Amino acid sequence: MVTGVASAMAERLKEDGNNCFKKERFGAAIDAYTEAIALSPNVPTYWTNRALCHMKRKDWTKVEEDCRKAIQLVHNSVKAHYMLGLALLEKKEYTSGVKELQRALDLGRGANPTGYMVEEIWEELSKAKYMEWELLSARRSWELSSLKEACQAALNEQRALDMSRTEESSHEDYIAHTDRLKSLERVFEKAAEEDKPTEVPDYLCCNITLEIFRDPVISPSGVTYERAAILEHLMKVGKFDPITREKIDPSKLVPNLAIKEAVAAYLEKHVWAYKMGC
Amino acid sequence: MTSSSAPSRKALSKIATNRLQKELVEWQMNPPTGFKHKVTDNLQRWVIEVIGAPGTLYANDTYQLQVDFPEHYPMESPQVIFLHPAPLHPHIYSNGHICLDILYDSWSPAMTVSSICISILSMLSSSTEKQRPPDNDRYVKNCKNGRSPKETRWWFHDDKV
Repeated sequence: MVTGVASAMAERLKEDGNNCFKKERFGAAIDAYTEAIALSPNVPTYWTNRALCHMKRKDWTKVEEDCRKAIQLVHNSVKAHYMLGLALLEKKEYTSGVKELQRALDLGRGANPTGYMVEEIWEELSKAKYMEWELLSARRSWELSSLKEACQAALNEQRALDMSRTEESSHEDYIAHTDRLKSLERVFEKAAEEDKPTEVPDYLCCNITLEIFRDPVISPSGVTYERAAILEHLMKVGKFDPITREKIDPSKLVPNLAIKEAVAAYLEKHVWAYKMGC
Repeated sequence: MTSSSAPSRKALSKIATNRLQKELVEWQMNPPTGFKHKVTDNLQRWVIEVIGAPGTLYANDTYQLQVDFPEHYPMESPQVIFLHPAPLHPHIYSNGHICLDILYDSWSPAMTVSSICISILSMLSSSTEKQRPPDNDRYVKNCKNGRSPKETRWWFHDDKV
């Protein structure tokens, strides 16, 4: 009986919080959610709603705390994983932040594949992956160039030493030395290639968006498209396959899991490909 | 006369911007033969030079195409017209409007600027006489005030040329 009253009061406090949130009175909203949590601490929404208020105020430590609590209560909350991911990224914990965003994306796609949340999460995830890559690749490139300088110096030193030992330095020795320097150059060029952005292969890109697939689906004609793009086409342009012009019923689109895996494998190796158009 | 009339248009959507940037990069690396696009910072309007294919009536002639992209490209087709002077062709009006189904009813978002250009060049190349469409004067008179060809109700009766 008492608990029933308490939870009804907590619900009312949540409504108050939501109203304050809509008016962008985040402090008042936080107070309302805090009271709701005191009355019924096991409702995940109270925690995620409060986390969202903390996020609006860029209070990332509190966002993290509230999201972790919500996830303890319900492990498959898209919002909790999403906001936790953002909070971790703010702390520059890229790897764990990316992991949370990935989890949010998988959960979000399961719930509503074309929802706005999915698009937003994907964008944040790509940004985070790209930032992490920029950081790591800058470090790798610095390491490579200092290693290269050290190797060049060692070769030149060796050459100087050889020259001081022998009376006459032959032309062959000179050629051998420059050849060694050239092949050193090649070895390091090759090593740097991995971090050099190139073109994503066409077979991993949608014919409508021209971008690397996120959520590929295959049409009855066997052509793969980005889910959101082909759905928009079917709604706005016409119920036909954009390439083959065969008729399509939207319910006949199925996920292309093989391409999805190929994209994941490609992105794993070429993290720069997360960079989006703008 | 036809060139200055900019269609009243909204800025490109994010999806349209992304897609056009990709097309631009692809074009720069691999432009369709017979076409030159001078890249400007205006992503929403491309002006492309067309050179008539060798061995056709238009060999060595150069023309200019103006391509304007709508807010929701590629879910909507771009507006493609020839700038003055437009080539003499049974499907090209003197105001630059082009009677080509893929630009209107048969548009598909899988088409690109590059594929449009190739279609237009092949339309030019297959022509057997340099002349205006029979209804040119009537059509052009009805298109005053810079009306977009996308507002025309086209009849695509001839798919030979």
